[in-house]
Amino acid sequence: MLILILAALLAAQAPQQKFDPHDLSGHWNRTSRFQTFSNVFSGQGNAQGTEEAPFTAAGKAKFDTNKPGYGPRAVPPAIGNDPMGTCDPLGIPRLLNTEVITPHQTMEIVQIPGRMLQFFEWHHEWREVFIDRKLPAADTVDPTWNGTSVGKWEGDVFVVDSIGFDDRTWLDKFGYPHSEDMKLQERYRRIDADTLELTMTITDPEMYTRPWVSDTKLFRLDRAKSSRWDEQIYCVPTEEYKFNQRVRDEAGGRGNAK
Amino acid sequence: MAYRLFALVLLLLLSIPALAHHGSNISYQTDKTINLEGVVTEWDYRNPHPQIYFDVKDKDGSVAHWATELLPTPLMLKNMNVGWSRTTIKFGDRIELECNPSRTAGAKACLAKGLKVNGKSWPVGALPPAPGARGAGQ
Repeated sequence: MLILILAALLAAQAPQQKFDPHDLSGHWNRTSRFQTFSNVFSGQGNAQGTEEAPFTAAGKAKFDTNKPGYGPRAVPPAIGNDPMGTCDPLGIPRLLNTEVITPHQTMEIVQIPGRMLQFFEWHHEWREVFIDRKLPAADTVDPTWNGTSVGKWEGDVFVVDSIGFDDRTWLDKFGYPHSEDMKLQERYRRIDADTLELTMTITDPEMYTRPWVSDTKLFRLDRAKSSRWDEQIYCVPTEEYKFNQRVRDEAGGRGNAK
Repeated sequence: MAYRLFALVLLLLLSIPALAHHGSNISYQTDKTINLEGVVTEWDYRNPHPQIYFDVKDKDGSVAHWATELLPTPLMLKNMNVGWSRTTIKFGDRIELECNPSRTAGAKACLAKGLKVNGKSWPVGALPPAPGARGAGQ
C-alpha cells in the first residue's frame, strides 16, 4: 500500500511529457512484480500470485520434469535442469518477463524500416519482429529459440504474433513449459512517456487447456542507460562450466573437484 | 523531493531480491554460518558469480581445498563503488570468511556473507532470501 501511495505521489509530481505512442524505442526496465509468466505463486519477493496454470495432463507432466532453482519447487541447481545453468538460450517469452530487470538486464527496443528489434542485455540476446509481412504457414517453420514473429499496429497497440518455438525453453525461470506448437501474442502499449505495458497470451493446447494470459508487465524507460557502454553480459559456457564443476556441483552434492 | 528520494530508495530495496541469477541460494543453509580462514589459490572475478578458491589448513597440518561464491555478478560488485575489481584478491592473500555452509554434508563450498582480505573488510553483497520462499532470491 505504501508503495502505491508513493508511486501515486511521484506520478502526481511528474510533469506530463509528450510522447509518440507508436515510438517504443529505448531501454526499458521491467517494474511489475511478477517474475513468472503469469501471476502464479512463485515465492519471489512480495509478489505472491494466486492463479493456477491451466495445465493439461501433458503440461503438468512436463512441468514436473522441469527442475528450477527458484520458487516453491526449487532444487539445488546442481540437480536442476534450468537451461540457464548451461548457458542455453532463454528464448521468448522468458526473456520478456524474468530476466528483464534493472540495473543491468534491460530490454532495448529499436524500430527500423520493416522490423522491430529487441535487445536483451541479460545473456546478450536479441530477437526480430518483422512488420512488413505475415506469418508463414506453421508447417513451414522450424522451431527456433525465439520463434518466428511478425508485428502490426492496432491503434496504439503493437501486436506481435509468433509461432515456431523450440520446446527446450521455459516460459519463465520457474519451469513452466510450452510445446513447439505454442502460439504467442504480445501486446505492447506505451501508456505514457516513461511506461510501456505488455500483456502476453499463449495458446498451446498440448500444454494448457485454454489460452493463458500473462499479468500486465510494466516497463519503465531508462534514459540514462542509452548513454552507457554496453556491458556485454554474455553467458559464457566455459565460465559457466567451471563454476558448475567447482562450486555449484560441490555445493549441491554432485562433485568434489577444486 | 525528500519523499521522492525515499520512494526511489524503497523501490530499489524491494527490487534487490529480484537481482537473481542462478538459484544458488537453495544449495546453502542460509540460516547458518561458518567461519573459515585460508590462503587464496584463485580469484575468479567472472560470471555467473565471482568465486574465491582457497586452502584451509587444519591443526594437524592437512589442507582442504575450499570454494566460495559471492552472490552478485562482477558488475554488481563493481557498482557498489567500493573498489571491487579483478585485482582485489590475489594468489596468496589471506582471507577470513563468514559463509553459509552447503546443505550437503562435507561439501567444501559455501556462500560468502562476510569477507576480509589481508585484514581488510570487503562487502560481498550477499542478499537475504525472499521471505517465505525456499530457494527464493539468488
